[in-house]
Amino acid sequence: MQSQESDGIAAFLSRTASDGASSRQIASAVTSAFQGIDQALTPIIGKRGVAALYKRTVHLAGRTHSWLAVPMEGVPTAMDVAALAGALEARTAADAAAAGTLLLQTFHELLTTLVGPSLTERLLRPVWAVFLSGPSAKDTTT
Amino acid sequence: MTSKVTINRLATGVPGLDEILAGGLPEFSFNLIAGQPGCGKTTLAHQIMFALATPERPAIYFTVLGEPPLKMLRYQQQFDFFDTEVINKSIRFINLSDDALAGELDRVLKRIVDEVTQHSPALVFVDSFRSVVLASGTDANPHNSLQQFVQQLGVLMASWQATTFLIGEYFIETDANPVFTVCDGLIWLRQSVQRNSMVRKMEIMKMRGQPTLPGLHTFRIGTSGVEVFPPARATTPTDVSANALLQAPRLLMGVPGLDDMLGGGLPRGYSLLVAGPSGSGKSILAAAFLAEGARGGETGVIAAFEQNPHRSRNRIVADLIAGGQVGLVENQAGLSIDEVLCMLMREIRRLGASRVVIDSLSGFELALAPTFREDFRESLSNLVTALAAVGVTVLMTSELEDRYTDLRFSPYGAAFMTDAIIVQRYIEVESRLRRVMAVAKVRASAHSDQLREYGIDAEGIHIGEMLPNQEGLLGGRPAKKAVPRADAGLPS
Repeated sequence: MQSQESDGIAAFLSRTASDGASSRQIASAVTSAFQGIDQALTPIIGKRGVAALYKRTVHLAGRTHSWLAVPMEGVPTAMDVAALAGALEARTAADAAAAGTLLLQTFHELLTTLVGPSLTERLLRPVWAVFLSGPSAKDTTT
Repeated sequence: MTSKVTINRLATGVPGLDEILAGGLPEFSFNLIAGQPGCGKTTLAHQIMFALATPERPAIYFTVLGEPPLKMLRYQQQFDFFDTEVINKSIRFINLSDDALAGELDRVLKRIVDEVTQHSPALVFVDSFRSVVLASGTDANPHNSLQQFVQQLGVLMASWQATTFLIGEYFIETDANPVFTVCDGLIWLRQSVQRNSMVRKMEIMKMRGQPTLPGLHTFRIGTSGVEVFPPARATTPTDVSANALLQAPRLLMGVPGLDDMLGGGLPRGYSLLVAGPSGSGKSILAAAFLAEGARGGETGVIAAFEQNPHRSRNRIVADLIAGGQVGLVENQAGLSIDEVLCMLMREIRRLGASRVVIDSLSGFELALAPTFREDFRESLSNLVTALAAVGVTVLMTSELEDRYTDLRFSPYGAAFMTDAIIVQRYIEVESRLRRVMAVAKVRASAHSDQLREYGIDAEGIHIGEMLPNQEGLLGGRPAKKAVPRADAGLPS
């Protein structure tokens, strides 16, 4: 995927990991972004609509990072970010950053294929603005 | 002092719709857009919304069940009116499927109330409101739930100063549905299928306080969205004074000699029928008519309904079109007369045209969707009247099977509706196929009664002389007149 947002996500998580952030901090940043996506899109396409996109995203990213592919049965009704946080925290910071990048990029690309780059950018603009500004990556647990 | 309420009318942004609504949509009205799946309800709603929504007059589009919002956004984006930049600004999409799936109608209504209260939209769309009730399953009689839901929504929206649109699938318009009573406006969309053609039609079945145009109005959905084709009477103000036209100089035909036959050219604002058999030069005469206009700085429009659109067009006409002196209305599948008139009027206005050619009536009839062919004669009469009302001069060609036993001008009875008629015929003289032409009619004007031979070459039509030595020309096989012999009566 060649987009400003995609490059920004990759650069941000890679920098966060190389700056010595823990996998927990990276997991926190990634899950916060997905929660932001959930908040931005649920009013428009419904909780189930967002959950279905998220499930597809995890499925696609799981081809590269098989440990991401948590079994989800039936029709998803909500985005399960707790499971994602757990999976990311269990990996090294570099692994978590790579997987987090792929997940967010995949979601962005998936939405782009469905509603086009212009509307995707319009809908997710506030999410990336918060995510790339970075405060969510700060570890507040210690 | 008492003063009656003034109802503002909102311009819908849908070409032609405001005309059939008699001036736009009443503000704060509660409207139902109904029709079968695939008839364009959601597209119409989106087009109106994108046209009307502004930061000061925001819109909320509630999606309930039915078409998934992602798909709706994906497909609606294909239309030119869809502007992604206004999403989440002046236009907000809100999905109620989770509330609807819970099966509680009150919850759906509460959610709508909450969102409307929070965002104060001036425009509210619910797509599809029928699914709200079908999903509820709370009542044995869905009509009751539907009526209650719509009634409450109507009361709420009116007091909240929101113009509201409910979008719903309906198959039978005669269904005694209480919702139809509650709403102020009822826009019904249809897909009329006859033989192998489909035509979209819209009917304003109800619009409180508005003298809407009754009947079915054809519409088309293209990349710019919905375009409605109002009937001729709605689009053509008769602001052209007949006297002014009569006093204006006559139009020259571009064929030497023909103007004299017409009594000094064709009176401005007249409709002229050129009738003749295949190959008699009707299209060439039409091209000369347009070219003559262009020579004098006038512009024209040609509606070309050729049997084979890929065949090269008359060189003169092609050059005039390329040069921007003549606008082209081309053949499309499944046309209606109203649509052709709309296209003609658009070109006439764009170019300020004074000359219009319809070549030919036979091709025109074939270009129409089968559903309109039955009314061709009546519709054609309306079209000619509408064109006359804007002051243009119309030349129509009509293919005429040569019958040598009678004199006909058009298979459509078009002769009575036209002001002038030129008839062309083939005759056989000395084993050659030759052509003759006559002016059969010029309303309220003297004209030639001569039957003149004419020829066609690369330069166009050349009108020759009468054939005084021949008689029975219209029978197709003229005979030489018997000339009294000078030596008659003398001994041999």
